Amino acid sequence: MTKVLALDTSSAVASVAVVDNTKILGEITYNYKRQHSTILIPMIDRILSFLDITVKDVDCIACSSGPGSFTGLRIGAATAKGLCHGADKPLIGIPTLDSLAFNMAYANGIICPIIDALRGNVYTAVYRWEKDWLKKQEDYMAISLEDLMAKLKLYDEDVILLGDGIFAYREKIVEMLGSRAKFAPVSMNMGRASSIAALAIKRYEKGSFDDYMSFVPFYLRKPQAEREYDKAHRGLV
Amino acid sequence: MPVLLSIWNLSIRKAVMIMEFLSNSPEDTEDIGRILGSIAQRGYIVCLEGELGAGKTQFAKGFAKGLGINEHITSPTFTIINEYNGRIPLYHFDAYRINDVEEMYEIGCDEYFFGEGVCLIEWANLIEDIIPKENIKISISKDMEQGVYFRKITLETSGEKYEPVCRKIIEKWDIA
Ligand SMILES: Nc1ncnc2c1ncn2[C@@H]1O[C@H](COP(=O)(O)OP(=O)(O)O)[C@@H](O)[C@H]1O
Ligand SMILES: [Mg+2]
Repeated sequence: MTKVLALDTSSAVASVAVVDNTKILGEITYNYKRQHSTILIPMIDRILSFLDITVKDVDCIACSSGPGSFTGLRIGAATAKGLCHGADKPLIGIPTLDSLAFNMAYANGIICPIIDALRGNVYTAVYRWEKDWLKKQEDYMAISLEDLMAKLKLYDEDVILLGDGIFAYREKIVEMLGSRAKFAPVSMNMGRASSIAALAIKRYEKGSFDDYMSFVPFYLRKPQAEREYDKAHRGLV
Repeated sequence: MPVLLSIWNLSIRKAVMIMEFLSNSPEDTEDIGRILGSIAQRGYIVCLEGELGAGKTQFAKGFAKGLGINEHITSPTFTIINEYNGRIPLYHFDAYRINDVEEMYEIGCDEYFFGEGVCLIEWANLIEDIIPKENIKISISKDMEQGVYFRKITLETSGEKYEPVCRKIIEKWDIA
């Protein structure tokens, strides 16, 4: 039996879970203000104490490895690293987009998590569920919403969208994809530490860990064209 | 007391308003900052420009007080950004040590620019490329001929979002 303590602070959501191979033992998720730096440690403390365990009792610590909010990712990674160091546990970083897509296990059609990267851009990837595993159709990318929609139009099937980008861009998405756009229900549309945990357990059992000393989250770069556009708009070029 | 020198409305083509003030002491500069801080809203971007020692941080101290922040404010010269919790969050930047705007992207500046609080950016002119073009610009300049305490402070708002700013400043000014 593998037991993991997972954190996700990659978006406006702060989520902490303790999960084993068969069930979620506990999960706390808040989506209220961005106050990760003040609530994350108390959330971990609370979940462990309610479960009558300490960090020593889990097999590994998992966190989101990006992309997402720069500040949020850093808070999550720094906290996870500290816990790993203190309790001498391995670290497993899980890509945020994978964990979002995993919320939609066994769904039919294309799964497209979108994280708002601001200024009209998104962090995204495109997945399809194949047999028992999520298969990436398009790799992690930072692109404009328009470019993503152009890519999605090429798939001739329903697209399930989730992640905080659906709040910022919902109308535009519907405009571009029409009834092919399906939005995940509220219970599934945001990051959850339990999804990070479930994916981390799979990696743990394969013996695949990250080095907590050198681990850094990955921040996707925004498209250069967009930055140039900004400049042109300000009359600088 | 600071002096309100002039107000210009250049909104013929785009929404631009300019106000000029004279400050004769650090306290005057703080007072102007405090008035702007007291009317600042979520999502406001305030750019501070002026040479070293012009009074940008002095202005920031007043601005923070206007937001109801009682903490001691210092230039985040090495940390680049300091966060304070007032009536709304204050993100106080100092771009003096930024060599390349890429460094700003790396600290996640967009999350602050498009976030839940007010951004106050010292040396904003050094990172002009990446700052949203609708903003409030405060330029502080010295004039040694007028004395060591003399500062001219120009406030320029660009964008519809900031249209009420000048009117609100005048209202506060009349009360003060
Ligand atoms: N009218 C004035 N307004 C603001 N600061 C003044 C004024 N007259 C003198 N000073 C002094 O100038 C200095 C401004 O410093 P500071 O606000 O840190 O500048 P900056 O942040 O622009 O580099 C302070 O020492 C302040 O006491
Ligand atoms: Mg300063």
